[in-house]
Amino acid sequence: MNKNRIIKLIPVFTVLAGFIVGGIIIAATGSNPFTAFWNLIQGCGLAPKASYAGKKGMITDLLSFIDLWTPMILASLSVAVAMRVGLFNIGVSGQMLFSGFIATVVVGYSGLDAFIAKPLVIVVGIVAGAFAGGIIGFLKFKFNINEVVSSIMLNYTFSYVISFFINTFLVDPVSRQSKAVSAASRLTLKDVELGAYKMDIPLGIVIAVIAVIVIWIFFNKTVSGMELKAVGLSNSAARYAGMSVNGNIMKAMMIAGALAGLAGVTYYLGYFGSIQPRVLPATGFDSIAVALLGNNQPIGIVFASFLITVLSKGSTYMNSASGVQAEIANVITGIILLFCACNAFIKWYIANRDTTTKKGFKRKSKKADKDGGAIAEADDKKGEV
Amino acid sequence: MSDYIVEMRNITKRFPGIVANDNVSIQIKKGEIYALLGENGAGKSTLMSMLFGMYEPDEGEIYIRGEKTQIESPNHATKLNIGMVHQHFKLVSNYTIAENIIMGMEPMKKALGFIPMVDIKKANKEIAELSKRYGLEVNPEDVIEDVNVSIRQRVEILKMLYREAEILIFDEPTAILTPQEIQFLLDIIRGLRDSGKTIIIITHKLDEIKQIADRCAILNRGRLIDVLDVKTTDTKTMANMMVGREVNFKTDKKDPVFGEEVLKVDNITVKNKDGLPVVKNVSFSVRAGEVLAIAGVSGNGQIEIADAITGILNVDSGKIYLNGNDITDKTVRQRIDAGIDYIPEDRNAVGMVMDFTLAENLALKSYYNEPFSIRGILNRPAFDSYGNKLIEKYDIRSSQGNPTIVRTMSGGNQQKAIIGREIEHESTFMIFVQPTRGLDIGAIENIHRQIIEERDKGQAILLISLELDEVMNLADTIAVIYSGEIQTIADAKNLTLDQVGQFMMGVGSDE
Repeated sequence: MNKNRIIKLIPVFTVLAGFIVGGIIIAATGSNPFTAFWNLIQGCGLAPKASYAGKKGMITDLLSFIDLWTPMILASLSVAVAMRVGLFNIGVSGQMLFSGFIATVVVGYSGLDAFIAKPLVIVVGIVAGAFAGGIIGFLKFKFNINEVVSSIMLNYTFSYVISFFINTFLVDPVSRQSKAVSAASRLTLKDVELGAYKMDIPLGIVIAVIAVIVIWIFFNKTVSGMELKAVGLSNSAARYAGMSVNGNIMKAMMIAGALAGLAGVTYYLGYFGSIQPRVLPATGFDSIAVALLGNNQPIGIVFASFLITVLSKGSTYMNSASGVQAEIANVITGIILLFCACNAFIKWYIANRDTTTKKGFKRKSKKADKDGGAIAEADDKKGEV
Repeated sequence: MSDYIVEMRNITKRFPGIVANDNVSIQIKKGEIYALLGENGAGKSTLMSMLFGMYEPDEGEIYIRGEKTQIESPNHATKLNIGMVHQHFKLVSNYTIAENIIMGMEPMKKALGFIPMVDIKKANKEIAELSKRYGLEVNPEDVIEDVNVSIRQRVEILKMLYREAEILIFDEPTAILTPQEIQFLLDIIRGLRDSGKTIIIITHKLDEIKQIADRCAILNRGRLIDVLDVKTTDTKTMANMMVGREVNFKTDKKDPVFGEEVLKVDNITVKNKDGLPVVKNVSFSVRAGEVLAIAGVSGNGQIEIADAITGILNVDSGKIYLNGNDITDKTVRQRIDAGIDYIPEDRNAVGMVMDFTLAENLALKSYYNEPFSIRGILNRPAFDSYGNKLIEKYDIRSSQGNPTIVRTMSGGNQQKAIIGREIEHESTFMIFVQPTRGLDIGAIENIHRQIIEERDKGQAILLISLELDEVMNLADTIAVIYSGEIQTIADAKNLTLDQVGQFMMGVGSDE
């Protein structure tokens, strides 16, 4: 098989390796790994299972899974966009929380009709997210403050300030969360009865699909996308070619923020319907891993986010059905990411092994010269474009 | 038993899309200076990388001291007493000179009788002695990032000597040095030969070969053309063999026809990051059809002048006019569109986005205009057809043409691409900074011809070069810069090489 094809298949091997090691661990704890994995899939409504309590079954779980998958896709796209200009947006969680909160206050409690409220939620999510991301971009180019530092600090700022408002003015005394938003403003239609089943219809997935397509087109087909990539790859060359480096940093952070904002509204006004104070959404952090696994490519992110969401969503059912600790899912995620981080080595190894065997030398050479790595790197980039 | 210390027999090495070495055989005697001469991409560095264990040959055999050897790694090569100074130094910049040299074979001592520790005092002493013995004076306790390239190169040489290398490979050692430093280095290399070392030097500078080498192997496109005795061969013959055709050292040019003033730089001052002025009250103007060359030793503010004219750096005071319009406060893009072309000094970090394709880089200054993009949407077919046109016209060689990632191309072809792109871009004024740096004779000749062609078409040209020969060869008017100030501006006919040299050292103005 050709070298480039093998390199493209690395993520698949990475995932398989994660499941194999995870399976061994499950077997070591005395459970059947195959049953456990089957339960994992069943828990997400991707495999048949018996209907349970009050008109709920496979289709119910599937839609619930999609509802949780949606913010993951959007959040991961946010990380990927920032990564393209060379910025590490670790603040997706804070941006999600901020836009979710603003949309909750502005629209969620407003009593507007559904056909005004729902689009308005989306618009507010985009604007609030772009604002939150824009702060990071602004601090970066105006004062050269490292985006990792500023976004982590903003995460805390958003989390505590919003908690204060929720606990002081908006708390639901029973759930200890913010008061539930109106059904009209929610991006998930709750408890819809169709035939024999009751289900939640996730409208957000439409936004996610559109976002994936738009971002793909943006990077591959537009002048702005090309400039953004150029700035990320070489600051000085971009400046030389007359591109505005600061403008592009700002643009990328605002787009990243807007995507995080969409993730926020599909999460807080879709899946949940309320905000838990003093908790940053885990989705925001998992999305960094997803973007890594998906190689910062929109299509890769669709698959990677699917996988990571299966692991997190299905683990509860796996626990109740076969008694395997839900944390095993995290172990598998961790191992996948570990292998994923070894990507560069695996690529180098394949590229290198390929050249040595072609020459007819049986012995594997240990030379760690940079040229082999450079070739692998170049091949990798070729795959990306 | 063989008389040769190194023998490479019938070596062939292929890379995807290219044969880097095609059945090359060379034999090197102990104690000689052996030069490898060839254009960029002729396969010199590849051949030596195989001797140093960085690659393995696809075919062929290597004999070291008469024994057939398969060199597996640079470490293995070091064990065989082979050392190499790479074109790009491999030093840890925040370590001291001594730490860099001993790395991997540190002299050890036992603190309190049992805790193993690096004996840095002993290392410093050993290195001081070693550097004195070979005339390579360095202070072992200096940190690499505080010393200049010439010292860094000495450190690389000492690194080889510390490892008791007998066979020393130098890859383009003079490319980054000033004329005085080059002389010093050549003396060192001669001294090393006299103390019994065998030297292999990769270069394309003929006069250096003539000065120090005993024998010289000429490579052209991966094939060995000939091995010559340097004493009995003149440089002209070597050059012709290397390029594969007749070479003109002197660029033919007509008398200049000057037109209107195109660029006017009026009393500009540019400050660096630390707020110190690096360009001080500089004024000059360039007319259509004129090559104005700024000569000077590296780091005297030339690059900053170019960056200020193109808008990459802001001027602190003064004005810049293009065709009579004040462009001092315009953005880089506005200046590009107003007709400024710029071939920057650093083609890797500045001139191109190395991980973009060739086609994208060729359109790097026009992608935002039709037909490359229409209302913000890229039109890929336009990139490809434009790419094909330039690849053909400027003979840009790469493994796959348009989709080639520029990083994988050779330096000479990268430069061809940049120059082609800038010439094709519509303009009235061009800046060339070190346009032939690191290139071989064939490519240099070609670029010089292109510069003169552009001049004759009526372009105003600013040439900034550290190579005095290049300045003397091309310029109609010469300005000499020293410490950020213009020392003199004069008609090229009225200045001799020596005079320019004196102005460059800041002493000419006394006359």
